Amino acid sequence: MNEDLILQHGLTLDEFKVIRKYLNRDLSIEELGIFSAMWNEHCCYKTSKKWLKKLPTDNEIVIQGPGENAGVIDLQDNDGIAFKIESHNHPSYIEPFNGSATGVGGILRDIFTMGARPIATLDSIRFGLIETEKTKYLLNGVVNGIGHYGNCIGIPNIGGECEFESTYDFNNLVNAMAVGHVQKDKIFYSKPKSIGGLIVYIGSKTGKDGIHGASMASDVFSEEDEDEKRPSVQVGDPFMEKLLMEGCLELMSSGLIESMQDMGAAGITSSSVEMASKGNVGVCINLDKVPLRQPLSAYEILLSESQERMLAVIDKKNNHKVREILQKWQIDYEVIGEITDTKRVVFESNNKKVVDLPVEIIVDDAPEYDREFYIPRKRKNKDFDFSKIKLEDMINNLLTNLNYLDKSWVFDQYDSTVMGDTIREPGQSSGIVKIHGTQKVIGASTDCNPLYIRINPYEGMKYTVAESYRNLIACNINPLAITNNLNFASPLDPNIMGELVLSIHGLKTAAIKFNTPIVSGNVSLYNQTNEIPIKPTPVIGMVGSNMDLNKINTNKFCEIGNKILILGKQLTKNFSPYLLQDQKITFNICEFNDLEVLDLDFEKKIANCVLELSDLKCIMSCNDISRGGIFSALLKMQYKDMGFKVKVPDPIDLFCEYSAGYVIEIRSKDFEEVTSFLTKKGAEYLEIGEVIKEGIEINSKKFDYFDIMNKYRNDFEKIIS
Amino acid sequence: MSFKSAVITFPGSNCDRDALCYLNDLTKGEVHNIWHEETSLPKVDLVILPGGFSFGDYLRSGAMASKSKIIHEIVKHANDNRYLLGICNGFQILTEIGLLEGALIRNKKLKFLGKNCFIKKKFKNNFNLSIKDNQILQIPVAHNEGNFYCDTETLNLLKNNEQIAFEYCKGEFSNTEENINGSIEAIAGITNKKKNVLGMMPHPERAYSDFHQSQDGRLIIESLIS
Amino acid sequence: MRIKILVRLKGQILEPQGKVIEQSLNSLGFTEFSNIRQGKLIELDLPDNISKEEKVQKIDSACKKLLVNDIIEEYEVLG
Repeated sequence: MNEDLILQHGLTLDEFKVIRKYLNRDLSIEELGIFSAMWNEHCCYKTSKKWLKKLPTDNEIVIQGPGENAGVIDLQDNDGIAFKIESHNHPSYIEPFNGSATGVGGILRDIFTMGARPIATLDSIRFGLIETEKTKYLLNGVVNGIGHYGNCIGIPNIGGECEFESTYDFNNLVNAMAVGHVQKDKIFYSKPKSIGGLIVYIGSKTGKDGIHGASMASDVFSEEDEDEKRPSVQVGDPFMEKLLMEGCLELMSSGLIESMQDMGAAGITSSSVEMASKGNVGVCINLDKVPLRQPLSAYEILLSESQERMLAVIDKKNNHKVREILQKWQIDYEVIGEITDTKRVVFESNNKKVVDLPVEIIVDDAPEYDREFYIPRKRKNKDFDFSKIKLEDMINNLLTNLNYLDKSWVFDQYDSTVMGDTIREPGQSSGIVKIHGTQKVIGASTDCNPLYIRINPYEGMKYTVAESYRNLIACNINPLAITNNLNFASPLDPNIMGELVLSIHGLKTAAIKFNTPIVSGNVSLYNQTNEIPIKPTPVIGMVGSNMDLNKINTNKFCEIGNKILILGKQLTKNFSPYLLQDQKITFNICEFNDLEVLDLDFEKKIANCVLELSDLKCIMSCNDISRGGIFSALLKMQYKDMGFKVKVPDPIDLFCEYSAGYVIEIRSKDFEEVTSFLTKKGAEYLEIGEVIKEGIEINSKKFDYFDIMNKYRNDFEKIIS
Repeated sequence: MSFKSAVITFPGSNCDRDALCYLNDLTKGEVHNIWHEETSLPKVDLVILPGGFSFGDYLRSGAMASKSKIIHEIVKHANDNRYLLGICNGFQILTEIGLLEGALIRNKKLKFLGKNCFIKKKFKNNFNLSIKDNQILQIPVAHNEGNFYCDTETLNLLKNNEQIAFEYCKGEFSNTEENINGSIEAIAGITNKKKNVLGMMPHPERAYSDFHQSQDGRLIIESLIS
Repeated sequence: MRIKILVRLKGQILEPQGKVIEQSLNSLGFTEFSNIRQGKLIELDLPDNISKEEKVQKIDSACKKLLVNDIIEEYEVLG
């Protein structure tokens, strides 16, 4: 076979040799296409698998860990929670609206494929500097796309993050997370149950969308490529997805389906191969039966990434009933093949076998690499000069930095109250929804601190997990499990590979300590353009619960006159990376001091105090302290024209980062009880001030509340327009 | 006598379940869910056309739904002097059917708006009896096309006939808008001339339960039942 | 035969999309462009053997029944 053709399919010549040797014959072009899709980084995790295997993926509440469409955890009674995060980075850079919209569509299908009804979405989105027209275009397109898709289907968007940094100028990140509710005895898996079961095609017709999208997602971009790659972005149809979701959920609750797979990246190829592999069976599919939107070759049908399609296995006797239900929802339905006992993947077209491969060579023999990696050099300690910076400057630096401003402009474009079960909307430390018809709530948060991880991938990752953990704790949500989205540059660079390996190691350490196993995830590599790599951005999505919705905390100030306390330990100013960067003390990544070692036991101890005090109803409101320190946390807590009056030894303390940091608001009458509780637990606290009406006062200096609030709430829109 | 009601589901409706819960919890009476292809409607006191993106909002919001089979029965129900409430997409459908005046076009800022809004009642009718004059209600909106438009003549008719039920207003605290989507005269909801049909953009069914941010949405059902 | 129907918002209705497009074009240097309005084009096939009167009647009826909301929109059959 032609070498160029092999390379164009993203396979190395060595990889091809392995296949050739196993089969001992030449491959058809369709078969080459299959390997191109299945041996791609996106599908087989060939670079990360060795390290991902080390992550904790199981504990007493895990029903399904990684390996299915989504992870599922046990929420007592018959309630299960399915969730996953997935990236759509490259497609969203090429065509932000459709790229992000189909990202949401894909992750929702992952959830309802498990038999779960999606109940919430979150989005972690990162862009380059807003000063460029390109970033404005990307931001508008991505937010519009996410909103369009999620709003139309009617799944509330309850949170996420939106950050801006020059490292993402040519590689924006779009990671979409979805959470679903499933009855534990009605979970569906991709494994087919019986030989002879019918393989059926459900959903939109197949078109040319995204042919080679899965291999595209792992390409290193070069800037000129953009226009050339445009046609391969998929176009989403949220209306179709809504019908598909209702149709599939009805089929599943009627017990008419044996197993189901989403035709996502690498389309029918990936879904049918997965089915065969999971069930240790074979599949035989007639491509002539696939509903088409336009004439397509067998090769194109195999690799099409048209959206809103599912592959399911049903018992022959249910064929008629399935058709009837799908007709009601106006969804295309076709029997296209059956489950065989051959352990081979066979595709026919025009009465000819165009693909006939053993499942083993496609899945089990997929390459796995142990790539070389470097451990970052030890950093020298440095004392920075803070003498020139005044309190006014520090406040101003935050209020002119998009990353600190209120992001309602983004969230207001999302429907966050549809389904009527939303308890905390975006913009709070975690989003919270109720499990319909119960008193149980689910909280979720997404986080990443790329700067920390760039400085020290292992410790930085611990901080990232801890931040997600704190986000949930602040709302009195008990953290339960994690989904991760590992966004990195090219692993062929041993420095980048080092970031990947060490951050996975950090994730492991923190996940074990917090007893929050990783139940699902996604890896997105090669996020670099013209040799410029992104900062390591392994995003964490953490999910937790509280069995009683009346016990959860708000992050917003409750009452004038209440006291403000600080828990946790401040990172000293020389060791607060975001302080140094955002207060413009240094921008040089080589100058930063190494991170202080994060004491995870201390994190747990303080977290338990917050949970206990919340259960005692002593906490009126609580917010975690992260980037921007106490000041930023307090700004986020403003509500109904309430502000704060605080006193601290040194104003710069208000801007430093924290480990186990929380701001808590308590009533004066509870002060004794709270402080003696904390003392008994050995948890230090700092009483810094109180909630006041329409004011911001720091060390007796009064600031114009409405001026600051106006900037905080409204300047985001001004800056990005 | 117990209060009977029904919610119509169109393909793409996504607030039908919310509306069913709203009615179940607040009316305590019989509640039906009716698929859009049905050709008969049980005799009920109130029908809700729920929010969502019926038929994907393709062509125009509400256009295709206004041609569904069930619509014939809906019009009969309205002509029978029974209550009909269109929320969000339901409001759009009512204007497309022609049961309500005017049309809903894209929000002034061309962006989807998903947030809390504040409304107060303008003219009294059976849907807002329990609401005090000048009482400010906090109710979420979630729409792309909620910008109410009609020509001057129609607007004068709406005023003269006291058909304007709700208008947007500022909230109690700073940083709230007078007219969030650019509607003519900040109109948030109107009735027909007989005042048994109400269309409104805000979602009362998302503001009634104890755990919701506001319970002001209860007042509409309470008004109808009282 | 292929039929094209142009649907647009009536002249007196504020059309914010057109305004935004105009601003963007102006900022790209197309300062001579003004009064921009955006509409939508609906294309469909009708049998060739249909009479001219029937064609006009069918299209008008489809527009009035579904394709156009005459409170806010107007239409024009092209070519």
